[in-house]
Amino acid sequence: MSQVVAKDPDLNNLLSIFNEELKDLATKIYIDKTERVIYIEVTREKIMDLAKKLLHLGFDHVKSLSAVDYPQEKKIELMVHIGSYLRVVRKYTVVIKSALERDNPRVSSLTSIWPSAEFHERETWEMFGVYFEGHPDLRRLLLPEELEGRWPMRKDFRIITRKAGEAETPWK
Amino acid sequence: MEVSGSQDITQELAREIFRVVETGVKEEGERLIELQIGPTHPGSGHMRILAWVDGDVIVRCDPDIGFVHRTIEKLSENRAYIKTIPLVERPSLLDTTPMTIGYVNALEKLMGIDVPPRAKYLRTILAEITRIASHLYGIGILAIFLGHSTGFMWAFGDREVMIELATMLTGARITYAYVIPGGVRRDMPQNFPDAVEKGLKYIEKRLRDWEKIFLNNPVVERRLRDVGILKPNIARILGVTGPNVRASGIDYDVRMVEPYEAYDEIDFMIPVAEEGDGYARGLIRFKEIEQSINIIRQAIRKIPSGEIISPQISRLFNPLMKKIYAEQRRVKLPSLMATLKPPKGEAMARVEAGRGEALFHIVSDGSTNPYRFRFITPSFRNVILFKYLIPGHRIADLPAIYGSLDYFPPEADR
Amino acid sequence: MVVSLGPLEIPGRLVYDFLHIFILPGFGAVLVLVILIIWAERKIAGLVQLRYGPLHVSRRFGGVLQLVADLIRYTFQEFIIPQGADKIAYLTGPVLALIFAIIPVAFIPVSPLIEPPIYVSSNILVVLAILSTAPIFIIITGYASDNKFAFIGSLREAFLMISYEIPFIISILSMALLFRSLDMSDVVNSQAKYLSGIILNPLAALVAYIAIIRITGRFPFEISEAESELVMGPYTEYSGLMYGVAMGIAYIKLYVYSMLYSMVFLGGWLPILSNNLVESYFIGSFIILIKASILMLIAVFLRSVYPRYRVDQAIRLGWSQVLILSIISLIWSLVLSYFLR
Repeated sequence: MSQVVAKDPDLNNLLSIFNEELKDLATKIYIDKTERVIYIEVTREKIMDLAKKLLHLGFDHVKSLSAVDYPQEKKIELMVHIGSYLRVVRKYTVVIKSALERDNPRVSSLTSIWPSAEFHERETWEMFGVYFEGHPDLRRLLLPEELEGRWPMRKDFRIITRKAGEAETPWK
Repeated sequence: MEVSGSQDITQELAREIFRVVETGVKEEGERLIELQIGPTHPGSGHMRILAWVDGDVIVRCDPDIGFVHRTIEKLSENRAYIKTIPLVERPSLLDTTPMTIGYVNALEKLMGIDVPPRAKYLRTILAEITRIASHLYGIGILAIFLGHSTGFMWAFGDREVMIELATMLTGARITYAYVIPGGVRRDMPQNFPDAVEKGLKYIEKRLRDWEKIFLNNPVVERRLRDVGILKPNIARILGVTGPNVRASGIDYDVRMVEPYEAYDEIDFMIPVAEEGDGYARGLIRFKEIEQSINIIRQAIRKIPSGEIISPQISRLFNPLMKKIYAEQRRVKLPSLMATLKPPKGEAMARVEAGRGEALFHIVSDGSTNPYRFRFITPSFRNVILFKYLIPGHRIADLPAIYGSLDYFPPEADR
Repeated sequence: MVVSLGPLEIPGRLVYDFLHIFILPGFGAVLVLVILIIWAERKIAGLVQLRYGPLHVSRRFGGVLQLVADLIRYTFQEFIIPQGADKIAYLTGPVLALIFAIIPVAFIPVSPLIEPPIYVSSNILVVLAILSTAPIFIIITGYASDNKFAFIGSLREAFLMISYEIPFIISILSMALLFRSLDMSDVVNSQAKYLSGIILNPLAALVAYIAIIRITGRFPFEISEAESELVMGPYTEYSGLMYGVAMGIAYIKLYVYSMLYSMVFLGGWLPILSNNLVESYFIGSFIILIKASILMLIAVFLRSVYPRYRVDQAIRLGWSQVLILSIISLIWSLVLSYFLR
């Protein structure tokens, strides 16, 4: 837990509340130098409790839910951007980062807390292979049927240019 | 510090959103018809809407998107940073400038480049010009989905005025690639303020005609009032953005929440409506056009003179580029920008595009290509409304609600 | 007032029947007028919408022959019959709808001195009855194409047909009640004596016009062929010449309904009265056609102004406001007919 002091007094307030409420849930809290983004790192077991606490603090919708693939460190890091419509906290975006195992990335679905994550989780499932337990309707969203089970956004899915006369699929 | 307790959101959601009509017979095929309003339907856009219909009432609706998915995020991992700027413009072809502004803002935050004030004002002017064009497109699509061909043709005709102004400023009609890290690529020509004033006066005059034929049209009011009512707490939970959420009573606009470019020096209002029905959403778009006209006028008046490119970039110019910059006020990109290597780290920026809030997150590992570029568009956040807002309405309300949401499939699919 | 020709009766009758059915106001006038009205619709809509409308085909005349070009194109386009469609109903549906839409022309008199080709003393009733059967064939075409959108379109047509034919029939019959005759010639002669129908019973005129706009599918009632909801309504699966026929049905119905309206409400061949047979035929039919054209132009102009109603809103309108207004017009006719002796 970091004791970061920011220039913005509202942000300091918010950080002190975070430090108090989330002290045994989050691994690390730090801010971005523009003082508008708060990063919270958490383990995958504690992500649901952290999410419930953040919901009570007023962060009510998911702006983006995706992942970043780190093949060398053998992890896929889930990256959730959350925001709020409430006036006091709406200028801050909280980014939750959670490391998942690359071989079998599973995490519980956030749709029971933030229903706005439904379509984002479907996209992350088909792009990275992250399985969300408890999602009401987990199926592919944007990609065609041929790419089912291929996880295109991972780093080992390379796009190559094809030569004339080669097969149709431009991927390996 | 205000803290809100919203413990039972999921129960609330289940009660209010899942309005499945009780038909008595639950098996499909007996009373329900599955309509595939597919990609080659005049009222569907580039997506397929699967609607299960009982008589005239839609019982379940499933949006099947992804027909125009162009893998922008994956492509950007193979390209230099500066080549992603035209890539980011392409999904949302109607308001291209806010997308480029967002990406370039994230890049500038990552690299620590400051933008001179004149460039900020030029970016703001172009962003508002494209916002007016985007809203006119949305209004035109709403009109044609209702069957009002006059509204459709007028919207596209009036949009030409804005596109001509953008051509005068940047040289291109729709996809400009005008915003670069550190500033903009061209300065505005001498006759630009007069042309802008003429164009804005024309749009204002046309807005009066629009009121007479569209907003006060009794059939339009019958089709749109009390249709697709989006209550504010549902809009909050579903994460809806843009004019759709402002029509439900929540005054959330990124230009006011986290001002970027020159918006903190310009005085403007955010139109908010309370009803949340289709008519309010259409009306909010008209009012936002008026506000954009206001912003452009103030920006043209207040624009300071000065450089249009940051000194951190212009000190990399060779003598030929310096000469062109001094004479024609045009920026030729130094070759170092093609192999830009930002420091390791991440940065996030958000902007208010025509349809709502767009978010850009760049993760950099110190090389010339981004490690991960996450890019979420407002239309993707609004797709969820197809699943939860439409059931319970009639077949003819589907195009009305679709048009009033101003959903643009290529923007959602990226 | 019908004049007898003596020994020239039978050949004269044949000549007149031929002219009436095939030239004026029959097929020839229908063809020319439909071409002109569709051109006018597209041109007016274009000028309102800041564009040119049809221009290219016959530039000097402002693109009038555009529809002729379209018809030629439809004739040479491949005519595809869907596999699951009921072939007999699919092929005969639009054709029968067209036939039943155009038959009433033979019943309508265009001159006080000559009988129409088929003379019935209650020709208003016969015309109304034949015109009411045309929608049934439209419903059959929608059901016969193996397509869910066509099916929904024909369902909408069925609902709307019932809701709007009834007020139309009531308002026309109220005029017949007012003038105490079901014969169009007598109705026009009564209008010569008193005042034209639209002044005597404006409510019935209004109701009848609204019903005409609905029955012929003009905006704001273009519901069964709503393009952004059901691709083309009952005519979704049609291509080639049948598509041209299907598109023409609505305009032919508009033509016949406008002729009926101009006889009953606007005074038919008045104000010209002549004793010469040939003159009364030609001038009488021209005047009727001009009045019908004005009505058609107004109906067609509404495309530039209104979007379309939702089907339940239109049905509710038909059963509540329009029906009640037509009944009030009937009562008004009853009261007024007492004073018109």
